[in-house]
Amino acid sequence: MTARLAWAIAAKDLRVERRSKAALSAALPFATTMLLSFGFALGPGRLLLVQAAPGLLWLAGLLAALDLFSRSYQAEADGGCLEGLLLSPVDRGAIYLGKAAAVAVQVAVLFTLTGALTVALFGLPLGSSPALLAATAVLGITGLAALGSLFGLLTALGRTRQAALPLLILPLATPVLIAAIRACALLSAGSTDQVAGWLGVLAAFDAVLLATGYLVYGHLLED
Amino acid sequence: MAHQPEPARSRAHRAGTPGPEPSDAAVSLRDVTRLFDGLPAISAVSLDVVVGETVWLRGPNGSGKSTLLRVVATALSPTFGTGTVLGDDLVRARDRIRARVEYLGHQTRLYADLTAAENLRFTCALYGLDPRAVPGALAMTGLDAVGDVRVGAFSQGMRQRLALARAAMRDADLLLLDEPYAGLDVDARAIVDDLLTRARTLGRTVLLASHEAPADGLVDRAVELDAGRVVLPVRERNRPRRAPREPVREALRETVREPAWEPVPEGLP
Repeated sequence: MTARLAWAIAAKDLRVERRSKAALSAALPFATTMLLSFGFALGPGRLLLVQAAPGLLWLAGLLAALDLFSRSYQAEADGGCLEGLLLSPVDRGAIYLGKAAAVAVQVAVLFTLTGALTVALFGLPLGSSPALLAATAVLGITGLAALGSLFGLLTALGRTRQAALPLLILPLATPVLIAAIRACALLSAGSTDQVAGWLGVLAAFDAVLLATGYLVYGHLLED
Repeated sequence: MAHQPEPARSRAHRAGTPGPEPSDAAVSLRDVTRLFDGLPAISAVSLDVVVGETVWLRGPNGSGKSTLLRVVATALSPTFGTGTVLGDDLVRARDRIRARVEYLGHQTRLYADLTAAENLRFTCALYGLDPRAVPGALAMTGLDAVGDVRVGAFSQGMRQRLALARAAMRDADLLLLDEPYAGLDVDARAIVDDLLTRARTLGRTVLLASHEAPADGLVDRAVELDAGRVVLPVRERNRPRRAPREPVREALRETVREPAWEPVPEGLP
């Protein structure tokens, strides 16, 4: 039941975003601008660019995703749709999981495009373990989406200003960011040692963040 | 729908028998107060609505009609006071209440980037309804030709129609309508009236907040709110059960000059 409802909510959110392009149309130019700025700031030294690229990619992706998190609730805020979700007798956790799944797909699109840009601009090698790279991306994006869906709700409810969203999310996203950057840096350097450890850290944070979101979402949503 | 209405018994209550027993109360509020920033939007409201009854909430702007409906819908919690809706506690059993209540407020709660049919299908997914009901609901509100058009292209009146289609499709035990006639043309107003008539026929309970008097015979009684308090609960008493209904506006005038109508003391059913 929870999975069916979560799927219905995620499918609705993705359909709305596919038509409105409200979130990605703002996040993508922002991430692109950041990557270009980083590139110019670091200069033409290829080695430095390659070494910094994993960090720049995740940092640009996260900062661009902050806007995406609040925009993911825009359709709910317009026309009182959030109240419609509140008044439906569905599992609040299912709403959270559905919203998080939709945000994760959008963030994945954002990271895919910015990742391609990073490879093209900075010459970031993808390494020889595409499966581990994909696992790093999935776990990292899941953690960010878990956080963003929870705190994005607060801005939609008007309990916090959109400007305060980074203050809430960035401290909690830091462990996810560090683990994802380290795993990516190791993989792009061709090393798989210690990657499992960083993936474990990511998986543990994802589990904690998703469980916390599942449990507290209903309390945040209620009057 | 899990709950079966008992229209016959409800009609008997409307005919003037003593106040509702607990099992007959669709809405029962006791001294409910809701504060916003320390100021009461509704204050010590006590109200009983019997299953199958249609009650018109009237009052000036800011009198607390919308807040009262939102408290009954469980969109807002009462700051003070207690109450039950369809036999369930207003605070502790919100999900049970929500499964049986449809609230149509000032906002239509529609996704602008989804089509009319997609919006209704999403409602079906949330409430576990059969999506095959969607075409019928669209046809009932005259929107069948634009079912595949995004709601963002709809006028306010069309959005209101779609919200009415959603309410009709849900067929909830308790219908809460907040200014349902606002912004509607003559045809669309007839849809609201049809919804009220259908609710009466099926023994559903309706709380209707409106500045405008509903059409003749659509409501059983009126409750007036002013400054967040119930000031004029009016119940038709000692009238033959089959007597033709009179327009509510006229009935309210009679409360002033006609002793056959008796104000019910606040707090009593």
